[in-house]
Amino acid sequence: MIKHHPKFSLLKSFVDGDLPASLAAGIAIHADMCPICQQKISQLTEQVAEASFEQDILIKTPVSESAHTLEAAQMSFDDIISEITASDDIAPAKVIAKEKLITFKGMQYSLPNALRNMELGRTAQIGKLSRARVNLGEGEIHTNLLHIGPGGSIPEHTHKGFELTLLLAGTFADEQGEYVAGDFIMLDKRHQHQPATEHGCLCYTVANDALHFTQGINKLLNPIGAFIY
Amino acid sequence: MQLLHSELPSHKANATSSDMTNKIDHPQLCQWLKLIADNRDKQAFTEVFSFFAPKIKGIAQGKLNSEALASEVVQDTMTNVWRKAHLFDDNKGAATTWVYTIMRNVTFDLLRKMKANKEDTLSDDIWPLAESEHTEDDVFSDHIQSRNLKGIIDTLPENQQQVVKGFYFLEMSQEQLAVHLNLPLGTIKSRLRLALGKLKLKLGEDHD
Ligand SMILES: [Zn+2]
Repeated sequence: MIKHHPKFSLLKSFVDGDLPASLAAGIAIHADMCPICQQKISQLTEQVAEASFEQDILIKTPVSESAHTLEAAQMSFDDIISEITASDDIAPAKVIAKEKLITFKGMQYSLPNALRNMELGRTAQIGKLSRARVNLGEGEIHTNLLHIGPGGSIPEHTHKGFELTLLLAGTFADEQGEYVAGDFIMLDKRHQHQPATEHGCLCYTVANDALHFTQGINKLLNPIGAFIY
Repeated sequence: MQLLHSELPSHKANATSSDMTNKIDHPQLCQWLKLIADNRDKQAFTEVFSFFAPKIKGIAQGKLNSEALASEVVQDTMTNVWRKAHLFDDNKGAATTWVYTIMRNVTFDLLRKMKANKEDTLSDDIWPLAESEHTEDDVFSDHIQSRNLKGIIDTLPENQQQVVKGFYFLEMSQEQLAVHLNLPLGTIKSRLRLALGKLKLKLGEDHD
């Protein structure tokens, strides 16, 4: 059972459209697997929509220009209406898009809908870890599909920024317990964790800074942080 | 991995808080959308436009800090309303929720184009519009076919499945498949030919 959900403030930003694509997609994927959050998002969207459209919002314009501007705006609205209705084209009904598959170490996975049109980089591998970058162009925020092969783990590390790990398939465990597909695990710099997987797993990860490894020999492995995130 | 969007509460069952007492005439909005859908009714569209456009403009201007971009949001959102009115289903939610979703998605793609310099339109994948369901007969398209296709491919022998899936779903070339599966190119070609023969039989001759 899914135990880890996005907190309310994230759901609200999601509904408002204020999150970067990486995190918004993470929430959409989670909600597709989690009826509880799906329901919350639906209700929130309805409330936000109602509140957005229930009152007249005054477009701020300097007083001296307002009469003139309003008239201009009114005219341009009429123009827009004519322009839009001049075309009789209607949008085709929603089509069920082609399933997109990705393979890591011979295991085939179906990509979540939210990732279907994202550009994926090549898969790179170190030992039991394989990752494909999701190229979203969001600067310091890096998004990856990370596959950990059976028996694999990520050395213990802390993180300087935030780090979202969304389990897409399989299971893994860390000090906090076991995680299943759909679990939405958001860590910040206070946390340490060392996920390990018995049978292998696929994760969607979003982080805004490289990992920092904390344990003896693993400090030598620091390049792995740049590899994973 | 995907759940169908069946949990959407109806807007009637989920009335918003009491201090928002019916300022929005929901049945009226639904009726206008229906007129647009059924009759391409320009008068009804003008009503819908007059209700939403100034508000959309205000919201977008607050978010984008530019009048020109806000106008673009108005234009794109309302164009979608005109073109998609037939897909609106009042059992799936309120008209306001539907228009809000379109507006939010248009704004998101526009901001992304500016900030990330990306032309991708991801919003409809992240926030799919709640639309009326269509039976497969209504929608004749390759995409629908691909779902059927998947089921049929699963009935092929394993070694043919591998080749077909690699070729169509992973879009690998026959040469790449040969390397990937460690097989001679000729084997890949003959498996693909065999598999396609079977698929054609099952799908009917008109699908190539
Ligand atoms: Zn949840």
